[in-house]
Amino acid sequence: MGQPGASTFIVVAAYNEGSVLRDTLAPLFRQGYSVVVVDDGSSDDTWTVLRSLPVHALRHPINLGQGAALQTGMDYALKHGAEFVVHFDADGQHPHDQIEEMLAPIRAGQADVVLGCRFLRDEDRRHVPLVKRVVLRAGALVSALMTGVWLKDSHNGFRALSADAVSRIRLTENGFAHATEILRQIRLAGLRYVEIPTTIRYSEYSRAKGQPVTNAFNIVMDLILGRLFR
Amino acid sequence: MKLVQPILLVLLAVALVVYFARLRSSLLDRAIVLLVVVVGAVFVSFPGASQTIAGWVNVGRGVDLVFYLSIFGLGFYCLVLFSKIRRLEADMTDLARAVAIRDANEPEGES
Repeated sequence: MGQPGASTFIVVAAYNEGSVLRDTLAPLFRQGYSVVVVDDGSSDDTWTVLRSLPVHALRHPINLGQGAALQTGMDYALKHGAEFVVHFDADGQHPHDQIEEMLAPIRAGQADVVLGCRFLRDEDRRHVPLVKRVVLRAGALVSALMTGVWLKDSHNGFRALSADAVSRIRLTENGFAHATEILRQIRLAGLRYVEIPTTIRYSEYSRAKGQPVTNAFNIVMDLILGRLFR
Repeated sequence: MKLVQPILLVLLAVALVVYFARLRSSLLDRAIVLLVVVVGAVFVSFPGASQTIAGWVNVGRGVDLVFYLSIFGLGFYCLVLFSKIRRLEADMTDLARAVAIRDANEPEGES
């Protein structure tokens, strides 16, 4: 923990991201952050790539889903003395130069959780493909109805959390439904949250890798069944 | 459709939700499955019984009543299995997580 950013743990869930991981992670460890990457049972060379990089590499023996990988990363980060945790996508669509901006409200004691939002600035909104924009806004509405947390962008994976917030959140939705589950837990734990504008850079790769918009239906079903069978 | 039909459907759905969300126990699960089996055995042993009961509840034919009850029984059993799968999934996740954290590869100089 010699470097100033070392108590900030960037948690990355990676599933078959071997071809882009190096480019995504390099700016993070170069800035001195502690980078925790959870290989979620990938079948490509993700694990080999990870072991060649100066990061904390963890591997699920089987594929469990993004929510499970993030929770594993958060458990690990807390165990290693994290003060702050940032969720960051492995496909490189999140802006690494905005991490400090995300952490600022937490450092200033104004928030426990900071959530990235693609819909606060016109220039960010323009980066989001139209169909995705419509689905995301509908998703935000469904999330709000299910969690009581009204956000403009509820399925943005770029988040920053204080260690205290991390210790009070426990993701049990292994799949993408964790994005809604985390909001519900934020509300139930009485954590202070704020949305700040972020630019998501969609590349051909991230579009191909990202969840298809039709997955929205699966997410809603997971949430309903998850609530029923707690 | 008679007014009572949608009301019954809603009541059935509410009963299932309440059961699974609040009242559930493995003992009750087994009791319900056993009840469905016993009712099935009664209908097989006394073929006229289903017709008589169907008449009481205004279903029409006895075979329809048996059909509806079996759909309910199957649906119930699916939900029981689903919840079991979820529990298994949660256990498996805990196990995989423990293994991942135990075998973590730390960056050089920190381990």
